[in-house]
Amino acid sequence: MKKTLATDLDICMTNAEKSTGYEARKRWLAVLARASRQELEGAWAAFEGLVAPEYVRPAESGMVMLRGRVGGTGDAFNVGEASVTRCALRFGTGALGVGYTLGRDRRKAELIAMFDALLQDEVPHAEVVRQVITPLASQQATRRDAASRAAAASKVEFFTFVRGQT
Amino acid sequence: MTVAQSNIRAGFADPVHDAQAAFRSVLDALSRPGRRFAIGTPFKGLALGAAMAHLLLALTDDDTPVWWQQNDGALTAWLRFHTGAPVASGPDAAAFAVIVDVGTAPPLRTFAMGSVDSPEGSATLLVEVPSLTEGHAVEWRGPGIEDMQVVRIAGLPDNFWTQWQANHAAFPQGVDIVFTCADAALGLPRTTRVRRLEGL
Repeated sequence: MKKTLATDLDICMTNAEKSTGYEARKRWLAVLARASRQELEGAWAAFEGLVAPEYVRPAESGMVMLRGRVGGTGDAFNVGEASVTRCALRFGTGALGVGYTLGRDRRKAELIAMFDALLQDEVPHAEVVRQVITPLASQQATRRDAASRAAAASKVEFFTFVRGQT
Repeated sequence: MTVAQSNIRAGFADPVHDAQAAFRSVLDALSRPGRRFAIGTPFKGLALGAAMAHLLLALTDDDTPVWWQQNDGALTAWLRFHTGAPVASGPDAAAFAVIVDVGTAPPLRTFAMGSVDSPEGSATLLVEVPSLTEGHAVEWRGPGIEDMQVVRIAGLPDNFWTQWQANHAAFPQGVDIVFTCADAALGLPRTTRVRRLEGL
């Protein structure tokens, strides 16, 4: 399961990379993955009434190995494993929407996949971006900003007087 | 959005239990050679028989290269999406081979036979045939068969059973075959001895 998940991430990336909207899709998937389930459920309420999605891969949980580098430049090492839930679905004959999220919340992975499917469709694209992605992105930016300010305010400068000199 | 990705069809609806059921069936098929076992229901919109599709989903993963006799981009993308199985560069590099027209398939000896030290490194051939109840009758004997089993498989080339004798003689090396037809599967492990019946 672990290995399959990693390979599949690769596939999705390489397939998407070939398309022109790769960067944009990467951005909205990141915004959706960072949003909470409540936020996504609330946003989905506006899009209820669509045909039921066809689940190409029902939501399932697995693990991925997280890798890191000391100082961002050292040799890569395995930090640890993280739970990831993924889902793939499509509406009718539309594009394949995929959802990946940390944790084991299957419904959240489904919601991300449903939004991803809609965002790849030209008709609802603008509407979803306006109603869902833009507000969520600005909320996330605000939260991140507040957190980094709070961290910066608690920063302590350590210094010592140079000894042995007059 | 690439063509391959937009065409990907669904896999198992209940991955754990469907895969376990398919695995159990193919285990039965290979331990009771010559008997037909039903495996699963067809997948909507997939150009593969039900048994073949279930076997591929249950048996392959990213360590098992699959060789496709007819390299159909949609099917290879489908399998790669669901199990991560790569496409084998040739018959000799494959852990599994998907053969849909056995008449034009390469001879059995071109597939991986394993080595004496590790005979498990051999290929398993999944062969879709037109029928598992018609065709010339042959007599199967060997482990898992009480006394003798008469088997009829349609669509096999004339020299197939000659090739099979060579495969059987190479024991412990050699390939194993699972014949599929729609939702039925029938196993032919390398231990099975085959004799043509009189009058053929």
